[in-house]
Amino acid sequence: MENLISKKDLLEEANISYGQLYRWKRKNLIPENWFIRKSTFTGQETFFPKDDILLRIEKIKTLKDDLSLDELADMFSPSPTLTSLSTEELTKRNIVSQTALDMFNNFHGPNLSFSFDQLLTLYVLNSLLQTGDVNRSEGLDLLKLFHEQAQTLKSNESELIFIRKMGVSIFILTPEPANLLLESQAKKIAHYKLSQCMEELKLKLS
Amino acid sequence: MEQTQLKNISISGSGTSSGGEYDQVKVNGSAHIHGDLICEQFKCNGSAHLEGNITTNTAKINGSTHFEGDVEVKEMTINGSTDIDGNLLCDELKVQGSSTIKGNVKGKEIIVRGSASIDGNVSSDEIDVKGQVKIKGDCETESFEARGNFKIDGLLNAGTIDVELLRHCEAKEIGGENITVKKTRDASGFKKLIKFFMSNHNDQLTAEVIEGDNLYLEHTHAEVVRGNTIEIGPGCDIKRIEYKTSLEIDPDAKVGTQEKI
Repeated sequence: MENLISKKDLLEEANISYGQLYRWKRKNLIPENWFIRKSTFTGQETFFPKDDILLRIEKIKTLKDDLSLDELADMFSPSPTLTSLSTEELTKRNIVSQTALDMFNNFHGPNLSFSFDQLLTLYVLNSLLQTGDVNRSEGLDLLKLFHEQAQTLKSNESELIFIRKMGVSIFILTPEPANLLLESQAKKIAHYKLSQCMEELKLKLS
Repeated sequence: MEQTQLKNISISGSGTSSGGEYDQVKVNGSAHIHGDLICEQFKCNGSAHLEGNITTNTAKINGSTHFEGDVEVKEMTINGSTDIDGNLLCDELKVQGSSTIKGNVKGKEIIVRGSASIDGNVSSDEIDVKGQVKIKGDCETESFEARGNFKIDGLLNAGTIDVELLRHCEAKEIGGENITVKKTRDASGFKKLIKFFMSNHNDQLTAEVIEGDNLYLEHTHAEVVRGNTIEIGPGCDIKRIEYKTSLEIDPDAKVGTQEKI
């Protein structure tokens, strides 16, 4: 079972009021399915997935001075905020590295503009390359996976997990929340929530 | 297609139509429309039955209308009675008669002066009730103002909640920033007369949980009330109160346990 936090503890830990929490819920900044109802000795209580909600509230608090609540809602929503971005713009604003861009273009053929889904692929590839978690050939495997599973990526919230065992690497794409148990020799190199990648990307683009 | 002038239909007496795209649709007798309808203006003075969805700029219903599909409208006025089996998406909704909606309602300004019953969820910027409202789902709005009777089976979530009680109001959960619940004070002769005949109905609000920043409650029965500044007025019966900044309790209120957090 996931780590849960009660509403009361959450308000205390995040230092927010009931009003703020209800307001953010109304504005769709906090997804409906994070409100988990459970019976306790004081009656029905609401619980939240602890890590997710604390991270989300932290983000809302730091961003709410710069963005309106509606803009924030767009950022957290799973639908893309913009339709496409040109190659020029992409390199000029330094959103992804040239290496990642070249690899993407080698795989898909040269592109003049990128759709949001392509940008997300690029963004994930770029972060994996930058951290040194994957090498170039593994990066190609990732592009292949994202290309083949484009529909899955679009339709629901997924997680990307990268595992290596004795030099053999595997990418796994699974619906959220993923709960993988690994044998001791296998090593989890990277674990990305694509919904979070999407938020980060939207933030960079805005 | 854009250039062609849209036609009007007017059904006086009894008639049927297959639907389509029109400028004005007017029903003065009884009409049965078999398909989807797109129009600028829909007006029904008699009775109308629409089997499909409708998209229109303004809809005015003075008689009775039954929509089997979804309704998308900018401005809707219901003076008679209306049933919608699908969802209702509107900017402005004014119910002066009675309406039953089986789906969800999404709007900007919802005004109820008669009675409205909604099976799904309601979300709007403003809701103003001076009549009766029943909502089976959740109700989300920036401002909720009620001078009548309401029953919400789910969560009432609003920035400002301002309630003047009439008879028995009910919500499963209430959450928001500023919540004020008061008993109607200006008891005019007519209201006194109504009350005389309905003496078994006490003005009262019942909820399981009420959570907000600033609360003022009168004649409220709740299991738990949580908030920053809480003022409990006369006639309340609350099992448990959790507060952060301040708590005031009227001598005529009944409170179980209270805890400062």
